[in-house]
This record gives sequence, C-alpha cells and structure tokens, in this order.
Amino acid sequence: MIKGTKILGSIGLGILTFFVIVAVFAPYIAPYDPHRMYVPMEHPSSSHLLGTNDIGNDILSEIVYGTRVSLFIAFIVSAISMVVGTSLGLIAGYFDKVGFLIMRVVDVVLTIPRLPLIIVIASFMRPSTWNLIALFLIFGWLMTARIIRSEVLTLRRRYYIDATKMIGGSDFYILWRHILPNVIPLVVVQFIMEAIHVILAESGLCFLGLGDPVARSWGMVFHYAFECPIIYVSDVWVWWMLPPGLCIVFTVLGLTFVGYALEETFNPKLKNPFGRMRL
Amino acid sequence: MHQISKLGYYFVIVLIILSINFFLPRVMPGDALSYLTDPGADIPLRMTEEKREILLAYYGLDKPLSEQYINYMVGIIRGDLGWSIYYSAPVLEVILGRLKWTLLLVGTSTAIYITLGILLGAASAWARGRKKDVCLLVSILSISSFPSFFLGILMVIFFGIKLDIFPIGGAQTAFATYSSPLEEIFDILHHLILPAATLVISHIGGTYLLMRNSMLGVLGDDYIMTARAKGLSERYILHRHALANALLPIVTMTAMTVGFLVTGTIFVETVFAYPGIGNLLYNSVSYHDYPLLQGIFLFITIAIVGANLIADMIYVRLDPRVEDV
Repeated sequence: MIKGTKILGSIGLGILTFFVIVAVFAPYIAPYDPHRMYVPMEHPSSSHLLGTNDIGNDILSEIVYGTRVSLFIAFIVSAISMVVGTSLGLIAGYFDKVGFLIMRVVDVVLTIPRLPLIIVIASFMRPSTWNLIALFLIFGWLMTARIIRSEVLTLRRRYYIDATKMIGGSDFYILWRHILPNVIPLVVVQFIMEAIHVILAESGLCFLGLGDPVARSWGMVFHYAFECPIIYVSDVWVWWMLPPGLCIVFTVLGLTFVGYALEETFNPKLKNPFGRMRL
Repeated sequence: MHQISKLGYYFVIVLIILSINFFLPRVMPGDALSYLTDPGADIPLRMTEEKREILLAYYGLDKPLSEQYINYMVGIIRGDLGWSIYYSAPVLEVILGRLKWTLLLVGTSTAIYITLGILLGAASAWARGRKKDVCLLVSILSISSFPSFFLGILMVIFFGIKLDIFPIGGAQTAFATYSSPLEEIFDILHHLILPAATLVISHIGGTYLLMRNSMLGVLGDDYIMTARAKGLSERYILHRHALANALLPIVTMTAMTVGFLVTGTIFVETVFAYPGIGNLLYNSVSYHDYPLLQGIFLFITIAIVGANLIADMIYVRLDPRVEDV
C-alpha cells in the first residue's frame, strides 16, 4: 500500500506539473491569440489542431489560455482560504471565548448549501472572474478553520506547551513556533481539497452560464460548446467539448491523487477527509 | 434540552437564508426596476418618472425597508414566493409542478448510491491493501473527478446517440399516448435510467470513501480482535460486529451528501432536459427570472437544511454518546 500510495502521488504530481507549465507558458504554447477570429466551425487540421469554434477562435489556444484562468481562480481562492482559515482556526482553538464566536459563525455558514447560494448571488452580479473569486472566498475558509481548530484543541494540552508557557513564551510565540508547524500537514491537505472544490464549482457555474465571458476558463469553453445547437448531431463535440472537459477531469484527478497520498503519509490514523469532497 | 437548542439553531439558519433572499436584490446596484429600464437590459423599457413611482408603489417598494421585510416574511409564511416573470404564474405553483420529477430522480439515485457506496466501501476496507481494494479505490477516485454535467453529456452521447438505447432527454416521450399504465411506467423508467446513473456515479465517491474509512477504523478496534479470539467466522464478524458500527457516521453524512446530490440535479437535469426543479433553476438563470430563481433557492436550501436537521435527530437516537458534543 505504501508503494501504491507513492505511485498515486507521483502520477498526481506529474499531471499537476504539466498543467502548471501550460498555464505559466501559455503565450509560448498556444499557437494563436485566443481572441483572434478565423473561419468559424472548422474541423481539426494542421493549422488548427482542435479546429475553431462558432465565432472562429482557435479552440486549442482557447484551452491553453483557459488553463491559466481555471488554475488561477483555484489557486487564489485556495491560498487565501488557507491563510484565513488557518489563522482563524489557530485563534479559535487557542482562545476559548473568541473561538466560541468564530465556530458559531462557521457552523451556521457551513449548514447553508453553498453552491445554490453562490448560483443565486452570481446571477445577480455581473459575471466576472473577480466576482466568482470573491464568492468562493466567502465559503472557502470555513472547513479549514474548523479542522485546524479541533487539532489545536488537542495540541495545546501537550506538556511542551505548558513548558513553553512556564519559561515565559508568549501566546503568539507558542502558536507560531509550536502549534502551527504541527498543523501544516492538515493545512496542505485542506488546500488541495479546496482547490478541487473550486475547480469543480467554477466549471459548474460556467456551465450554467455564470462565468466570465471575457477571460474564458475551461468551463466557459465547455459552456459555449454545450450551447451550440449542432454539438450532438455531428462529431464537433470530440474536439470542442471533450478537451476542456478532460482538462478539468485530469486536474481534479491529479489533485485527488496528491491529496490522498499526502493524507496517507501524514495521517496514519486513516481519518481521510476525502469523504467530504464533491460539489 | 439538546433537541430544543438544535431546533433553535436550525431556525436561525432558516432566518438567515430568508434574510439573504430578501436583501440580495435590494443591495444590488440600482433599484428593483433598473433591470427593466437599464439600457444594457435585454429589452430596455422606457419609463417616465411617474410611471416608475406608480410601479414601485404597486409592489410596495416605496415603503421603509423594515415594513417591506415584515411583509416579505408574512408572505413566505403564507406560502407566497412571488410571481414568476417567465411562466407568468405563482412561483410556488411552478415549483410544485416540477417537484415530482426531482423527487423521483433524487429518491431513486439516493437509494442506489448509498447502498452501493456502503457495500463497495465495506468490501474495500475488508480487503484493505489487496488488489481488490486498490482497484476499487483508484477507479472510484477517478470517476469522482468527472463534473456531473460532463459525465451526463458523455452518457447522452454514448448511450443516447451512438448506441441509441436510451432517450437523450425529457422525463417521458413527448405527446405519447399509452395503451396501459404499465407502458407509461416503463417509459418513465426508460427516461430515468441515464440521469439517475449519472447522479449515482458522480456522487458515489463520498459515501464509498467514508464507509471505507469508517470500516477501517472499526476493524482496528479491540472488540473485533476479541471476536476473532473467540473464534467467530470472518463473515459473522463482518456482518454482526463491523458493519453495524461502521454505519454510524454514514447516517449523518447521508444528509450532507443528499444536499450535494440535490445540487447535482441542477446540472444533471439541465443536461438531460429533465423537467425537474434543477432544470427550472437553470432556466430561471438564463431567462433572468429572479423571483423564480429566489423561490427555487429558498425551496432547495430549506429542503437541504431540513434533511440535516432530521439526520441530527436520528443520530442522537442511534448513538447516545454524541449528546454532549
């Protein structure tokens, strides 16, 4: 099993590295400017490897640039959620009174189903990447805060914490030097779970037509393909719908494998939190 | 006591959801009529200042916010969710008309994915580390990486178009006349299979992993070793000792996963043009039918929160130890 875990983790890491490289070097990899228009609805050829869409954009270039948008949203949201969630989790676990307040807020907001709420708010707002990021951030930090807090609750009873207090270590010093390093593995796994969630939720919102029409993510490319009436009656879906869909699937798969491998390695008690994932 | 405070907690959540619903259109830029008169609107209307005021007064939007809020709450209690612009009918009526299809879809797929998830999860944990476990784990993790709408479209293309064995959309054959009720049931089931399968496949991962982990935890417990030491058969230990205890966390998680499943119907019903509430939500988003959209949001969220409440209640009965959490 240990060996199997390692293989899974490496496969996942390989997939993620590939997509990160595509995102970073998009201008060098994409054959064309994704906004330039050519002859619409062209089939794949040597000049357009994945053909062109209904308004004549080169689909391959759209997808390469879409990698940037999709990964950027997932990364920004997960990173900010990680910092906010970890800080609040540490505070909530260490200071009882503030902790009680923070946890009541977390409990309440976690009970409200998040995707329906995001859909409703998003449809009132102008569709834009930044609006989506803001919406995901409202919910992103909750789970991290809850998990980190419950870990801190057990960590702070350890003897070395008492010892540090006795020799005059401040609360901030204890949290920063003794507790934070111990929760880092949990934080990393939560970061990955959040990234999975955001990739899936963002593509879902795009599918419903609530994504940014200018900065097209994979989900948006997929959305326009789905909206195109002839998508089912011809083979157009093979080069227009399948590639962005598979990009989403492989990114999520890569993240899942890495997350699973990390969890198996860090947490021998096997309380794998991957049971919670899904839209 | 505990049960009462739980009820209070859920009451607060419902109140918050209702308030979000009330304030959302009011905090957005412009007023309630600007989406009609805005030059960027689909069909901008021209309106004189007087006409505007008449309209605002007609909808009670000239009253102070507190009075509007009270009127809104009273309306909700009476079951008045507003008027759908697109369907030109009361929102509640439109939703209730679609409800049976969503219930059918959600009910069938929930029953299947939970049963299947529990069985596969238990089988996987029982074979921990062996080939069977690894294969199940990797394939279910892979399947869960598909967004439900993508999976649904692939289903439509392969089973509906390429193989042509299932209908590609709807809940019944359009304009069909049935010679017997049995034929009608068969037609409905025929239309149900693909969307239900999509929901099952894309939601099985959660239950499977949870069951697997829970079972692995139980299998490490002392009483399992005691049972082995007593010389009980493996099969007996699995059925009588391990399964029942490993099922406990599934009960609470079920409510949560049903919430995800209800959300999943938004995408699956849209792909299959299944005439349920999820598809209605998609339509209300694309037609900018805000009263309908908000009504559906309210309906879905309160249903999910209600499911959570029920699960909480059941769990206290099943496992008295959680009382003091």
